[in-house]
Amino acid sequence: MADEVVIEAKGLSKAFTETVIAVEDAIFQIPKGSFISLVGPSGCGKSTLLRLIAGLIDKTDGNISVRNAEVTGPRKDIGLMFQKAVLLEWRTAIENVLLPNEIRGDVGPEAKQKAWDGLQLVGLKDFEFAFPRQLSGGMQQRVALARLLQTGADIMLLDEPFGALDEFTRERLNVELLRIVDDPEITTIFVTHNITEAIFLADKVFVMTPRPGRIAAMIDINLPKPRTIEMETTPEFNALIKEVRDVLSGHLDGAPL
Amino acid sequence: MSDVSSDGVLKGVKELSLATRLGMHLGTFIVIIGGWELGSRLGYVNELIMPPPSSIAARLYEMFFITGSIYYHYFVTMFEAVCGFIIGVSIGLSLAIASAISPVFRRYWAPYAVVFNVTPGIAVTPFIIAWFGFGWSSKIALAALVCFFPPFINTLTGLLFIDKDATELFRSLGANKKQYFWKLQIPSALPIIMAGLKLAMTGALIGAIVAEFFSASEGVGILMQRFAFRLNMDGSFAALIVMSLMGLSLFTLMEYLDVKILFWRRHSRMEEVSKKRKAKWSIN
Repeated sequence: MADEVVIEAKGLSKAFTETVIAVEDAIFQIPKGSFISLVGPSGCGKSTLLRLIAGLIDKTDGNISVRNAEVTGPRKDIGLMFQKAVLLEWRTAIENVLLPNEIRGDVGPEAKQKAWDGLQLVGLKDFEFAFPRQLSGGMQQRVALARLLQTGADIMLLDEPFGALDEFTRERLNVELLRIVDDPEITTIFVTHNITEAIFLADKVFVMTPRPGRIAAMIDINLPKPRTIEMETTPEFNALIKEVRDVLSGHLDGAPL
Repeated sequence: MSDVSSDGVLKGVKELSLATRLGMHLGTFIVIIGGWELGSRLGYVNELIMPPPSSIAARLYEMFFITGSIYYHYFVTMFEAVCGFIIGVSIGLSLAIASAISPVFRRYWAPYAVVFNVTPGIAVTPFIIAWFGFGWSSKIALAALVCFFPPFINTLTGLLFIDKDATELFRSLGANKKQYFWKLQIPSALPIIMAGLKLAMTGALIGAIVAEFFSASEGVGILMQRFAFRLNMDGSFAALIVMSLMGLSLFTLMEYLDVKILFWRRHSRMEEVSKKRKAKWSIN
Protein backbone atom coordinates (compact mmCIF):
# COMPACT_ATOMS: atom_id res chain seq x y z
CA MET A 1 0.00 0.00 0.00
CA ALA A 2 1.38 3.34 -1.04
CA ASP A 3 1.71 5.84 1.72
CA GLU A 4 0.27 8.72 -0.26
CA VAL A 5 -1.99 10.70 2.08
CA VAL A 6 -5.48 11.42 0.67
CA ILE A 7 -7.20 12.93 3.66
CA GLU A 8 -5.52 15.04 6.28
CA ALA A 9 -6.96 16.84 9.32
CA LYS A 10 -5.08 19.24 11.58
CA GLY A 11 -6.76 20.58 14.69
CA LEU A 12 -10.10 20.12 12.93
CA SER A 13 -13.01 21.31 15.09
CA LYS A 14 -16.72 21.83 14.72
CA ALA A 15 -18.83 23.50 17.39
CA PHE A 16 -22.56 23.91 16.87
CA THR A 17 -22.80 26.25 19.87
CA GLU A 18 -20.21 27.26 22.46
CA THR A 19 -21.05 24.25 24.60
CA VAL A 20 -21.96 21.71 21.92
CA ILE A 21 -18.61 20.73 20.48
CA ALA A 22 -19.21 17.89 18.03
CA VAL A 23 -15.61 17.49 16.93
CA GLU A 24 -12.60 18.84 18.79
CA ASP A 25 -9.03 18.99 17.61
CA ALA A 26 -9.08 16.04 15.22
CA ILE A 27 -5.62 15.22 13.87
CA PHE A 28 -5.12 12.37 11.42
CA GLN A 29 -3.75 11.32 8.07
CA ILE A 30 -5.47 8.72 5.97
CA PRO A 31 -3.33 6.93 3.36
CA LYS A 32 -4.69 6.08 -0.07
CA GLY A 33 -6.37 2.71 -0.36
CA SER A 34 -6.96 2.25 3.34
CA PHE A 35 -10.16 1.36 5.15
CA ILE A 36 -10.80 3.37 8.31
CA SER A 37 -13.57 2.59 10.79
CA LEU A 38 -14.83 5.41 12.94
CA VAL A 39 -16.38 3.86 16.03
CA GLY A 40 -17.99 5.42 19.07
CA PRO A 41 -21.26 5.83 20.95
CA SER A 42 -24.18 7.86 19.61
CA GLY A 43 -23.59 11.58 19.67
CA CYS A 44 -19.78 11.37 19.72
CA GLY A 45 -19.43 13.39 16.53
CA LYS A 46 -18.65 10.56 14.10
CA SER A 47 -21.22 11.70 11.57
CA THR A 48 -20.18 15.32 11.97
CA LEU A 49 -16.57 14.38 11.26
CA LEU A 50 -17.69 12.50 8.16
CA ARG A 51 -19.70 15.49 6.93
CA LEU A 52 -16.73 17.78 7.49
CA ILE A 53 -14.63 15.56 5.23
CA ALA A 54 -17.46 15.42 2.68
CA GLY A 55 -17.64 19.22 2.60
CA LEU A 56 -21.30 19.18 3.57
CA ILE A 57 -20.77 21.34 6.66
CA ASP A 58 -18.22 24.00 7.52
CA LYS A 59 -15.57 23.55 10.18
CA THR A 60 -15.22 26.09 12.97
CA ASP A 61 -11.47 25.67 13.37
CA GLY A 62 -8.42 23.85 12.05
CA ASN A 63 -7.83 22.27 8.68
CA ILE A 64 -9.28 19.50 6.61
CA SER A 65 -7.81 18.74 3.22
CA VAL A 66 -8.34 16.11 0.57
CA ARG A 67 -5.48 15.51 -1.88
CA ASN A 68 -3.70 18.53 -0.44
CA ALA A 69 -6.60 20.85 -1.19
CA GLU A 70 -8.65 22.48 1.52
CA VAL A 71 -12.22 21.09 1.57
CA THR A 72 -14.64 23.92 0.81
CA GLY A 73 -17.64 22.00 -0.50
CA PRO A 74 -18.73 18.69 -1.99
CA ARG A 75 -16.13 17.09 -4.27
CA LYS A 76 -16.49 14.75 -7.22
CA ASP A 77 -14.00 12.25 -5.83
CA ILE A 78 -15.99 11.81 -2.61
CA GLY A 79 -19.10 9.62 -2.50
CA LEU A 80 -21.51 9.16 0.39
CA MET A 81 -23.75 6.45 1.70
CA PHE A 82 -26.17 6.75 4.61
CA GLN A 83 -27.95 4.55 7.12
CA LYS A 84 -31.07 4.98 5.02
CA ALA A 85 -30.71 3.97 1.38
CA VAL A 86 -32.12 7.37 0.29
CA LEU A 87 -33.48 6.02 -2.96
CA LEU A 88 -35.93 8.01 -5.04
CA GLU A 89 -39.14 6.00 -4.80
CA TRP A 90 -40.38 6.99 -8.24
CA ARG A 91 -37.28 5.62 -9.96
CA THR A 92 -36.41 2.02 -10.67
CA ALA A 93 -33.21 0.59 -9.21
CA ILE A 94 -31.23 1.31 -12.35
CA GLU A 95 -32.65 4.82 -12.68
CA ASN A 96 -31.55 5.45 -9.11
CA VAL A 97 -28.06 4.22 -9.93
CA LEU A 98 -27.97 6.55 -12.93
CA LEU A 99 -28.84 9.62 -10.83
CA PRO A 100 -25.20 10.75 -10.45
CA ASN A 101 -24.79 10.66 -14.23
CA GLU A 102 -28.01 12.54 -14.81
CA ILE A 103 -26.86 15.27 -12.46
CA ARG A 104 -23.58 15.53 -14.31
CA GLY A 105 -25.41 15.38 -17.63
CA ASP A 106 -23.70 12.32 -19.10
CA VAL A 107 -26.26 9.53 -19.42
CA GLY A 108 -24.70 7.78 -22.39
CA PRO A 109 -24.34 4.11 -23.29
CA GLU A 110 -21.21 3.89 -21.17
CA ALA A 111 -22.94 5.18 -18.05
CA LYS A 112 -25.87 2.85 -18.64
CA GLN A 113 -23.58 -0.15 -19.09
CA LYS A 114 -21.74 0.78 -15.91
CA ALA A 115 -25.01 1.08 -13.96
CA TRP A 116 -26.10 -2.31 -15.27
CA ASP A 117 -22.79 -3.90 -14.32
CA GLY A 118 -22.88 -2.16 -10.94
CA LEU A 119 -26.21 -3.75 -10.09
CA GLN A 120 -24.86 -7.19 -11.07
CA LEU A 121 -21.80 -6.53 -8.90
CA VAL A 122 -23.89 -5.80 -5.79
CA GLY A 123 -25.98 -8.93 -6.44
CA LEU A 124 -29.14 -7.36 -7.86
CA LYS A 125 -29.36 -9.22 -11.14
CA ASP A 126 -33.01 -9.30 -12.27
CA PHE A 127 -33.95 -6.42 -9.98
CA GLU A 128 -32.78 -3.65 -12.31
CA PHE A 129 -36.30 -2.39 -12.92
CA ALA A 130 -37.75 -2.90 -9.45
CA PHE A 131 -38.90 0.15 -7.55
CA PRO A 132 -37.42 0.77 -4.07
CA ARG A 133 -40.67 -0.20 -2.35
CA GLN A 134 -40.51 -3.58 -4.04
CA LEU A 135 -37.08 -4.25 -2.49
CA SER A 136 -36.10 -5.36 1.00
CA GLY A 137 -34.02 -3.09 3.23
CA GLY A 138 -30.84 -4.99 2.40
CA MET A 139 -31.51 -4.81 -1.32
CA GLN A 140 -32.19 -1.09 -1.09
CA GLN A 141 -28.77 -0.61 0.50
CA ARG A 142 -27.26 -2.63 -2.34
CA VAL A 143 -28.80 -0.19 -4.80
CA ALA A 144 -27.36 2.69 -2.75
CA LEU A 145 -23.95 1.01 -2.91
CA ALA A 146 -24.23 0.62 -6.68
CA ARG A 147 -25.14 4.30 -6.93
CA LEU A 148 -22.07 5.18 -4.84
CA LEU A 149 -19.85 3.11 -7.16
CA GLN A 150 -21.50 4.80 -10.13
CA THR A 151 -20.24 8.22 -8.99
CA GLY A 152 -16.73 7.01 -9.73
CA ALA A 153 -15.61 8.51 -6.42
CA ASP A 154 -12.50 6.89 -4.98
CA ILE A 155 -13.10 8.20 -1.47
CA MET A 156 -16.13 6.53 0.06
CA LEU A 157 -17.70 7.89 3.20
CA LEU A 158 -20.18 5.47 4.70
CA ASP A 159 -22.36 6.56 7.61
CA GLU A 160 -23.62 3.41 9.37
CA PRO A 161 -24.71 2.08 5.99
CA PHE A 162 -26.01 -1.24 7.26
CA GLY A 163 -27.02 -0.05 10.73
CA ALA A 164 -30.74 -0.49 10.15
CA LEU A 165 -30.44 -4.05 8.82
CA ASP A 166 -30.64 -7.33 10.67
CA GLU A 167 -27.43 -9.00 11.87
CA PHE A 168 -27.28 -11.66 9.12
CA THR A 169 -27.86 -9.26 6.25
CA ARG A 170 -25.37 -6.86 7.74
CA GLU A 171 -22.65 -9.51 8.00
CA ARG A 172 -23.15 -10.56 4.39
CA LEU A 173 -23.14 -7.01 3.13
CA ASN A 174 -19.98 -6.24 5.09
CA VAL A 175 -18.17 -9.13 3.43
CA GLU A 176 -19.37 -7.97 0.02
CA LEU A 177 -18.43 -4.38 0.76
CA LEU A 178 -14.87 -5.49 1.54
CA ARG A 179 -14.71 -7.38 -1.72
CA ILE A 180 -15.87 -4.31 -3.64
CA VAL A 181 -13.63 -1.69 -2.01
CA ASP A 182 -10.59 -3.97 -1.95
CA ASP A 183 -8.85 -1.76 -4.46
CA PRO A 184 -5.61 0.15 -3.81
CA GLU A 185 -7.23 3.23 -5.34
CA ILE A 186 -10.28 3.29 -3.07
CA THR A 187 -10.11 4.91 0.36
CA THR A 188 -13.00 4.20 2.70
CA ILE A 189 -14.20 5.71 5.95
CA PHE A 190 -16.89 3.68 7.66
CA VAL A 191 -18.85 5.10 10.60
CA THR A 192 -20.41 2.63 13.01
CA HIS A 193 -21.24 2.13 16.67
CA ASN A 194 -20.68 -1.59 16.39
CA ILE A 195 -17.18 -2.45 17.65
CA THR A 196 -17.04 -5.91 16.04
CA GLU A 197 -18.06 -4.53 12.67
CA ALA A 198 -15.53 -1.70 12.97
CA ILE A 199 -12.64 -4.09 13.59
CA PHE A 200 -13.79 -6.68 11.07
CA LEU A 201 -13.72 -4.17 8.21
CA ALA A 202 -10.84 -1.86 8.93
CA ASP A 203 -7.14 -1.42 8.48
CA LYS A 204 -7.32 1.11 11.27
CA VAL A 205 -10.02 1.96 13.82
CA PHE A 206 -10.48 5.53 15.06
CA VAL A 207 -12.18 5.40 18.46
CA MET A 208 -14.25 8.48 19.19
CA THR A 209 -15.53 9.61 22.59
CA PRO A 210 -18.27 12.16 23.15
CA ARG A 211 -18.58 15.59 24.81
CA PRO A 212 -16.50 16.98 23.29
CA GLY A 213 -16.15 14.68 20.27
CA ARG A 214 -12.53 13.55 20.20
CA ILE A 215 -10.58 10.82 18.52
CA ALA A 216 -9.36 9.09 21.67
CA ALA A 217 -7.34 6.35 20.00
CA MET A 218 -6.24 5.03 16.61
CA ILE A 219 -5.80 1.28 16.63
CA ASP A 220 -4.10 -0.61 13.81
CA ILE A 221 -5.89 -3.79 12.78
CA ASN A 222 -3.31 -6.24 11.55
CA LEU A 223 -5.63 -9.16 10.87
CA PRO A 224 -4.95 -11.04 7.65
CA LYS A 225 -6.94 -10.32 4.49
CA PRO A 226 -9.36 -11.22 3.06
CA ARG A 227 -11.32 -11.11 6.28
CA THR A 228 -13.75 -13.89 7.11
CA ILE A 229 -16.56 -14.06 9.64
CA GLU A 230 -14.69 -16.88 11.45
CA MET A 231 -11.95 -14.42 12.44
CA GLU A 232 -14.38 -12.74 14.79
CA THR A 233 -13.96 -15.59 17.29
CA THR A 234 -10.16 -15.64 17.33
CA PRO A 235 -8.19 -14.48 20.42
CA GLU A 236 -6.54 -11.73 18.35
CA PHE A 237 -9.94 -10.34 17.41
CA ASN A 238 -11.14 -10.44 21.00
CA ALA A 239 -8.01 -8.69 22.16
CA LEU A 240 -8.77 -5.89 19.70
CA ILE A 241 -12.36 -5.64 20.93
CA LYS A 242 -11.07 -5.34 24.48
CA GLU A 243 -8.64 -2.64 23.41
CA VAL A 244 -11.43 -0.55 21.87
CA ARG A 245 -13.71 -1.15 24.84
CA ASP A 246 -11.00 -0.06 27.25
CA VAL A 247 -10.60 3.24 25.42
CA LEU A 248 -14.34 3.85 25.46
CA SER A 249 -14.97 2.79 29.06
CA GLY A 250 -11.94 4.70 30.31
CA HIS A 251 -13.59 7.76 28.95
CA LEU A 252 -17.18 6.95 29.74
CA ASP A 253 -16.74 5.92 33.40
CA GLY A 254 -18.51 8.45 35.53
CA ALA A 255 -19.65 10.46 32.53
CA PRO A 256 -23.34 11.33 32.38
CA LEU A 257 -25.22 9.23 29.87
CA MET B 1 -56.28 4.01 -1.18
CA SER B 2 -57.37 0.48 -1.91
CA ASP B 3 -53.95 -0.77 -0.84
CA VAL B 4 -54.64 0.19 2.76
CA SER B 5 -57.55 -2.17 3.15
CA SER B 6 -55.94 -5.02 1.22
CA ASP B 7 -52.88 -4.75 3.47
CA GLY B 8 -55.12 -5.83 6.29
CA VAL B 9 -55.66 -2.58 8.17
CA LEU B 10 -59.36 -3.27 8.14
CA LYS B 11 -58.99 -6.66 9.77
CA GLY B 12 -62.42 -6.42 11.42
CA VAL B 13 -64.09 -6.85 8.05
CA LYS B 14 -64.00 -10.51 7.05
CA GLU B 15 -63.33 -11.23 3.39
CA LEU B 16 -66.58 -12.56 1.95
CA SER B 17 -67.37 -13.73 -1.55
CA LEU B 18 -68.29 -11.08 -4.11
CA ALA B 19 -71.90 -12.29 -4.31
CA THR B 20 -72.33 -12.13 -0.54
CA ARG B 21 -70.85 -8.65 -0.39
CA LEU B 22 -73.06 -7.37 -3.21
CA GLY B 23 -76.04 -8.93 -1.48
CA MET B 24 -75.15 -7.20 1.79
CA HIS B 25 -74.80 -3.83 0.05
CA LEU B 26 -78.08 -4.27 -1.74
CA GLY B 27 -79.77 -5.34 1.49
CA THR B 28 -78.54 -2.27 3.36
CA PHE B 29 -79.65 -0.03 0.52
CA ILE B 30 -83.11 -1.58 0.39
CA VAL B 31 -83.57 -1.28 4.15
CA ILE B 32 -82.69 2.44 4.14
CA ILE B 33 -84.60 3.42 1.00
CA GLY B 34 -87.49 1.05 1.75
CA GLY B 35 -87.83 2.36 5.31
CA TRP B 36 -87.83 5.92 4.05
CA GLU B 37 -90.39 5.15 1.34
CA LEU B 38 -92.60 3.33 3.80
CA GLY B 39 -92.39 6.11 6.40
CA SER B 40 -93.43 8.57 3.74
CA ARG B 41 -96.28 6.45 2.37
CA LEU B 42 -97.68 5.73 5.82
CA GLY B 43 -97.65 9.44 6.64
CA TYR B 44 -94.97 9.41 9.34
CA VAL B 45 -92.90 11.90 7.33
CA ASN B 46 -94.39 15.05 5.83
CA GLU B 47 -93.83 15.03 2.07
CA LEU B 48 -93.08 18.74 2.16
CA ILE B 49 -90.12 18.04 4.44
CA MET B 50 -88.90 14.72 3.08
CA PRO B 51 -90.36 13.52 -0.21
CA PRO B 52 -90.41 9.73 -0.70
CA PRO B 53 -87.50 8.25 -2.69
CA SER B 54 -89.89 7.13 -5.43
CA SER B 55 -90.93 10.70 -6.29
CA ILE B 56 -87.28 11.87 -6.19
CA ALA B 57 -86.40 9.02 -8.53
CA ALA B 58 -89.30 9.92 -10.81
CA ARG B 59 -88.12 13.52 -10.91
CA LEU B 60 -84.54 12.45 -11.70
CA TYR B 61 -85.79 10.19 -14.46
CA GLU B 62 -87.76 13.06 -15.93
CA MET B 63 -84.79 15.45 -15.75
CA PHE B 64 -82.38 13.05 -17.39
CA PHE B 65 -84.50 11.06 -19.83
CA ILE B 66 -87.76 12.87 -20.63
CA THR B 67 -87.15 16.63 -20.69
CA GLY B 68 -83.36 16.33 -20.55
CA SER B 69 -83.40 19.70 -18.78
CA ILE B 70 -80.63 18.79 -16.34
CA TYR B 71 -77.75 18.41 -18.79
CA TYR B 72 -77.40 22.09 -19.52
CA HIS B 73 -77.33 23.04 -15.82
CA TYR B 74 -75.03 20.14 -15.07
CA PHE B 75 -72.48 21.30 -17.60
CA VAL B 76 -72.76 24.96 -16.60
CA THR B 77 -71.95 24.18 -12.97
CA MET B 78 -69.26 21.68 -13.93
CA PHE B 79 -67.69 24.21 -16.26
CA GLU B 80 -67.67 26.88 -13.55
CA ALA B 81 -66.20 24.50 -11.00
CA VAL B 82 -63.51 23.13 -13.33
CA CYS B 83 -62.49 26.59 -14.60
CA GLY B 84 -62.39 27.87 -11.03
CA PHE B 85 -60.33 24.83 -10.07
CA ILE B 86 -57.81 25.41 -12.84
CA ILE B 87 -57.43 29.10 -12.03
CA GLY B 88 -57.31 28.62 -8.25
CA VAL B 89 -54.86 25.75 -8.49
CA SER B 90 -52.60 27.65 -10.91
CA ILE B 91 -52.43 30.60 -8.54
CA GLY B 92 -51.96 28.37 -5.50
CA LEU B 93 -49.18 26.34 -7.14
CA SER B 94 -47.37 29.40 -8.48
CA LEU B 95 -47.41 31.18 -5.14
CA ALA B 96 -46.29 28.01 -3.36
CA ILE B 97 -43.39 27.47 -5.75
CA ALA B 98 -42.35 31.12 -5.46
CA SER B 99 -42.54 30.86 -1.66
CA ALA B 100 -40.55 27.63 -1.64
CA ILE B 101 -37.81 29.03 -3.84
CA SER B 102 -37.53 32.45 -2.24
CA PRO B 103 -37.46 32.73 1.56
CA VAL B 104 -37.98 36.48 1.20
CA PHE B 105 -41.15 36.00 -0.79
CA ARG B 106 -42.29 33.41 1.72
CA ARG B 107 -41.70 35.70 4.68
CA TYR B 108 -43.58 38.67 3.29
CA TRP B 109 -46.34 37.02 1.29
CA ALA B 110 -47.25 33.83 3.11
CA PRO B 111 -48.94 35.70 6.02
CA TYR B 112 -51.42 37.21 3.55
CA ALA B 113 -52.24 33.80 2.20
CA VAL B 114 -52.97 32.62 5.71
CA VAL B 115 -55.20 35.60 6.53
CA PHE B 116 -56.88 35.04 3.21
CA ASN B 117 -57.55 31.44 4.13
CA VAL B 118 -58.94 32.05 7.62
CA THR B 119 -61.40 34.55 6.17
CA PRO B 120 -64.42 32.45 5.15
CA GLY B 121 -64.31 32.53 1.36
CA ILE B 122 -68.08 32.19 1.13
CA ALA B 123 -68.48 35.49 3.00
CA VAL B 124 -66.88 37.45 0.17
CA THR B 125 -69.46 36.22 -2.33
CA PRO B 126 -71.29 39.61 -2.39
CA PHE B 127 -68.04 41.36 -3.34
CA ILE B 128 -67.28 38.78 -5.97
CA ILE B 129 -70.69 39.33 -7.51
CA ALA B 130 -70.24 43.10 -7.35
CA TRP B 131 -66.90 42.78 -9.13
CA PHE B 132 -67.57 40.03 -11.61
CA GLY B 133 -71.27 40.45 -12.29
CA PHE B 134 -74.08 37.92 -12.43
CA GLY B 135 -72.72 35.71 -15.18
CA TRP B 136 -70.37 32.74 -15.15
CA SER B 137 -67.31 34.75 -14.26
CA SER B 138 -68.40 35.43 -10.67
CA LYS B 139 -69.01 31.69 -10.13
CA ILE B 140 -65.62 30.85 -11.56
CA ALA B 141 -64.02 33.53 -9.40
CA LEU B 142 -65.59 32.24 -6.20
CA ALA B 143 -64.70 28.65 -7.07
CA ALA B 144 -61.09 29.75 -7.68
CA LEU B 145 -61.01 31.68 -4.43
CA VAL B 146 -62.35 28.81 -2.34
CA CYS B 147 -60.02 26.22 -3.85
CA PHE B 148 -56.78 28.20 -3.94
CA PHE B 149 -55.54 27.56 -0.43
CA PRO B 150 -55.24 23.74 -0.10
CA PRO B 151 -52.93 23.39 -3.11
CA PHE B 152 -50.96 26.42 -1.93
CA ILE B 153 -50.28 25.21 1.59
CA ASN B 154 -49.83 21.57 0.60
CA THR B 155 -47.42 22.37 -2.19
CA LEU B 156 -45.42 24.71 0.01
CA THR B 157 -45.21 22.13 2.79
CA GLY B 158 -44.30 19.38 0.35
CA LEU B 159 -41.55 21.41 -1.31
CA LEU B 160 -40.02 22.56 1.96
CA PHE B 161 -39.99 19.32 3.94
CA ILE B 162 -37.57 17.24 1.94
CA ASP B 163 -35.76 14.30 3.47
CA LYS B 164 -32.52 15.62 4.97
CA ASP B 165 -30.41 12.71 3.73
CA ALA B 166 -31.78 13.09 0.21
CA THR B 167 -30.80 16.76 0.30
CA GLU B 168 -27.28 15.80 1.39
CA LEU B 169 -27.12 13.20 -1.35
CA PHE B 170 -28.03 15.78 -3.98
CA ARG B 171 -25.51 18.24 -2.56
CA SER B 172 -22.76 15.64 -2.50
CA LEU B 173 -23.53 14.78 -6.14
CA GLY B 174 -23.12 18.45 -7.01
CA ALA B 175 -26.74 19.02 -8.09
CA ASN B 176 -27.73 22.58 -8.97
CA LYS B 177 -30.96 24.22 -7.79
CA LYS B 178 -32.86 23.35 -10.92
CA GLN B 179 -31.95 19.66 -10.68
CA TYR B 180 -32.76 19.66 -6.97
CA PHE B 181 -36.16 21.17 -7.74
CA TRP B 182 -37.18 18.90 -10.61
CA LYS B 183 -35.53 15.65 -9.60
CA LEU B 184 -36.13 15.75 -5.86
CA GLN B 185 -38.44 18.49 -4.56
CA ILE B 186 -41.29 18.14 -7.04
CA PRO B 187 -41.55 14.33 -7.09
CA SER B 188 -41.19 14.14 -3.29
CA ALA B 189 -43.98 16.69 -2.89
CA LEU B 190 -46.34 15.12 -5.45
CA PRO B 191 -48.33 12.96 -3.01
CA ILE B 192 -49.13 15.89 -0.73
CA ILE B 193 -49.77 18.17 -3.72
CA MET B 194 -52.28 15.63 -5.05
CA ALA B 195 -54.00 15.56 -1.65
CA GLY B 196 -54.31 19.36 -1.89
CA LEU B 197 -55.77 19.11 -5.38
CA LYS B 198 -58.42 16.68 -4.19
CA LEU B 199 -59.50 19.12 -1.48
CA ALA B 200 -59.48 21.93 -4.05
CA MET B 201 -61.75 19.97 -6.38
CA THR B 202 -64.43 19.68 -3.70
CA GLY B 203 -63.89 23.33 -2.76
CA ALA B 204 -64.35 24.48 -6.34
CA LEU B 205 -67.70 22.73 -6.61
CA ILE B 206 -68.87 24.30 -3.34
CA GLY B 207 -67.71 27.73 -4.54
CA ALA B 208 -69.55 27.46 -7.85
CA ILE B 209 -72.78 26.28 -6.24
CA VAL B 210 -72.75 28.89 -3.46
CA ALA B 211 -72.17 31.65 -6.01
CA GLU B 212 -75.15 30.31 -7.94
CA PHE B 213 -77.27 30.45 -4.79
CA PHE B 214 -76.55 34.19 -4.59
CA SER B 215 -77.48 35.05 -8.11
CA ALA B 216 -77.55 33.05 -11.28
CA SER B 217 -79.79 32.18 -14.17
CA GLU B 218 -78.35 28.77 -14.89
CA GLY B 219 -76.61 25.94 -13.06
CA VAL B 220 -77.60 23.18 -10.66
CA GLY B 221 -77.36 25.53 -7.64
CA ILE B 222 -79.95 27.96 -8.93
CA LEU B 223 -82.09 25.06 -10.16
CA MET B 224 -82.21 23.62 -6.66
CA GLN B 225 -83.02 26.99 -5.16
CA ARG B 226 -85.89 27.57 -7.59
CA PHE B 227 -87.38 24.21 -6.69
CA ALA B 228 -87.00 24.93 -2.98
CA PHE B 229 -88.67 28.36 -3.25
CA ARG B 230 -91.63 26.70 -4.94
CA LEU B 231 -91.71 24.07 -2.18
CA ASN B 232 -91.01 21.51 -4.89
CA MET B 233 -89.14 19.22 -2.53
CA ASP B 234 -88.70 16.24 -4.84
CA GLY B 235 -87.14 18.57 -7.43
CA SER B 236 -84.84 20.02 -4.77
CA PHE B 237 -83.74 16.61 -3.63
CA ALA B 238 -83.21 15.53 -7.21
CA ALA B 239 -80.95 18.57 -7.71
CA LEU B 240 -79.06 17.63 -4.54
CA ILE B 241 -78.48 14.14 -5.89
CA VAL B 242 -77.23 15.65 -9.13
CA MET B 243 -74.72 17.67 -7.06
CA SER B 244 -73.58 14.45 -5.40
CA LEU B 245 -73.12 12.94 -8.84
CA MET B 246 -71.03 15.93 -9.87
CA GLY B 247 -68.91 15.65 -6.75
CA LEU B 248 -68.54 11.94 -7.34
CA SER B 249 -67.47 12.34 -10.96
CA LEU B 250 -64.88 14.98 -10.02
CA PHE B 251 -63.66 12.82 -7.16
CA THR B 252 -63.36 9.80 -9.45
CA LEU B 253 -61.39 11.86 -11.94
CA MET B 254 -58.97 12.94 -9.20
CA GLU B 255 -58.61 9.39 -7.91
CA TYR B 256 -57.83 8.26 -11.43
CA LEU B 257 -55.14 10.91 -11.78
CA ASP B 258 -53.81 9.99 -8.35
CA VAL B 259 -53.41 6.34 -9.35
CA LYS B 260 -51.85 7.33 -12.68
CA ILE B 261 -49.39 9.87 -11.33
CA LEU B 262 -48.45 8.41 -7.95
CA PHE B 263 -47.76 4.94 -9.29
CA TRP B 264 -45.07 4.28 -6.69
CA ARG B 265 -47.63 4.29 -3.90
CA ARG B 266 -49.45 1.19 -5.13
CA HIS B 267 -47.96 -2.24 -5.63
CA SER B 268 -50.06 -3.25 -8.60
CA ARG B 269 -49.22 -0.01 -10.45
CA MET B 270 -45.52 -0.35 -9.60
CA GLU B 271 -45.43 -3.74 -11.28
CA GLU B 272 -47.10 -2.29 -14.37
CA VAL B 273 -44.75 0.69 -14.64
CA SER B 274 -41.74 -1.50 -13.86
CA LYS B 275 -42.58 -3.71 -16.86
CA LYS B 276 -43.01 -0.67 -19.10
CA ARG B 277 -39.65 0.79 -18.08
CA LYS B 278 -38.00 -2.56 -18.64
CA ALA B 279 -39.46 -2.74 -22.15
CA LYS B 280 -38.24 0.79 -22.89
CA TRP B 281 -34.70 0.20 -21.62
CA SER B 282 -31.86 0.20 -24.06
CA ILE B 283 -28.20 0.81 -23.50
CA ASN B 284 -28.07 3.34 -26.34
